[in-house]
Amino acid sequence: MTAHVSEIDLALAASGDLSLWRAVMLRLHVAGCERCRKAAEEFRADRRRVRQIASELPAGLDWDRVAAEMTANIHLGLAAGECVAPRRKKSAVTLSWRPAAVMAGVAVLLATGWWLNMPHDATVALGRALSSVVHGRTMAPSPAEDPGMVVNADEKGVELRENGGSLGISEGSAPPLAVTVSVPGSASARYVDGDTGQVTITSVYAQ
Amino acid sequence: MRSSIAIFVLACFAADGQSLSRKVDFPADSPVALVSDDWGDSSANARGGAFFLDVHASLSLRNVSQKRVRGITLSVSAQDIAPGGKGSVSIPSLDAAPGDVFPVRIDLRLLRPIGSNAAVEVKLDGILFDDLSFYGPDVLHSHRRMALWELEARRDRQYFKKLLETAGRDGLQKGIIESLARQADRAQPGVQMARGRSTNADPERDVAFALLEIPEAPVQPTSGTAKIAGNEAHAPHFEIHNRGDRPVRYLEIDWVIKDRQGREFLAASMPADVSVAPGRSGEVVEDAALRFTAPVESMSAFVSTVGFADGSYWIPTRASLSDARLRKLIAPSPEEQRLTQIYLKKGLPGLIEELKKF
Repeated sequence: MTAHVSEIDLALAASGDLSLWRAVMLRLHVAGCERCRKAAEEFRADRRRVRQIASELPAGLDWDRVAAEMTANIHLGLAAGECVAPRRKKSAVTLSWRPAAVMAGVAVLLATGWWLNMPHDATVALGRALSSVVHGRTMAPSPAEDPGMVVNADEKGVELRENGGSLGISEGSAPPLAVTVSVPGSASARYVDGDTGQVTITSVYAQ
Repeated sequence: MRSSIAIFVLACFAADGQSLSRKVDFPADSPVALVSDDWGDSSANARGGAFFLDVHASLSLRNVSQKRVRGITLSVSAQDIAPGGKGSVSIPSLDAAPGDVFPVRIDLRLLRPIGSNAAVEVKLDGILFDDLSFYGPDVLHSHRRMALWELEARRDRQYFKKLLETAGRDGLQKGIIESLARQADRAQPGVQMARGRSTNADPERDVAFALLEIPEAPVQPTSGTAKIAGNEAHAPHFEIHNRGDRPVRYLEIDWVIKDRQGREFLAASMPADVSVAPGRSGEVVEDAALRFTAPVESMSAFVSTVGFADGSYWIPTRASLSDARLRKLIAPSPEEQRLTQIYLKKGLPGLIEELKKF
């Protein structure tokens, strides 16, 4: 026994609203089924009649009034819907694990790159800047923060520091006999060799 | 993703234990020649988040000129990884006759955030001969520094020779022991210098320098001020007067600090190129900040070096340095320290033998 096409599909086919694939299958069936062909033809005839009736508008129709009524009805419907309908929640964006893993990897690489390349003082300065943004006021610079190129001289010797790096020149592990600082930007440490008495003066220069 | 991790891991391994590239570069007509260089256990390593460069080099240099070498300065630069500056190694009070071989030791330590070539280059900056003539590019102003060291060496050798002549062996021994005591007593607090800025948040005040006078100094500071905030002093400004009869082209003002514990020490020297005619005045201004380990109470200053238009220099005499306050502040010359070391190592006979060489 051959299954016939449902009336819903025949109605949708008559109005051209059936999907392409189902429309093709329906046409194949209707071509070989007398009963369905008659039903399909009736749906198409009904559709033609409805169109004909719809095209015959009543005399003296006031289109402006009709438009105003329709607009009022739409507003009324929307207002009623707001009162009775539950608030629709936004659906959460779900990510698959792959993009999340890629983002985590990039974050790890950035953090590692920062740790390897950025001096501690720069990290302190960044923290201070972020803190200023959060608290809305300028934070005083920390003593640990890098103040630019600095020449340092103490009992251990002389050293040039800048942006987390340092350059120190010594004479073996012995402490210097004297250190001096010159204001334009240099420092010197003096060493004497215990065996030969040879004096060595090491200096660093901020240039 | 996999390739990113692989590149990162390879980069980490590549950064660890880099080979150290080194170069000793002397001009073809240099009065000294490299005989040998030993770089020992010099290394370049990445540890943690930083890059460490340790250089332990010993150079042997030969005087291939016809003059005696009195001093040499080598510039040391770590290409690409030095933090914007240079280092140098100087040997003052040298006495290398033509053909003599003398050693120069270089110990350099460098720390820097990772990621550069490890290349160290040693160049000749200058050589001072016994007639005070000079050879070299003088990029680091080593000519002036070595000439001043040599003048101090001649002054101090003359002083100890005269002690020996006038007061005998006991007098020389007493003079050397006094020098050793002075070296031991001299305060050496840490000083940090930053150019052009002050990071101290304390309220600042203008403080006038107390001006020390060395009677025979051809230039005298007439006024001086600096701004002090906590343990930081900056923006020094001096008025000077040339009371000699020669035009002055250069001078050094020594800057003395007294902290709140009453300790007084030489904080820094301020070299300045000036042009002051005889009888005229000038000014010395620096845009720098000095930071000390303790808050500053007061400051004083004196002129320690004057350079004249004819290329000659004035330095304080031994008589000036006999002043108790100055003697405590001014460091002994490199030559005085060398002679006291010879005394400690070889005794009085060794010292007398050394003094007779000059």
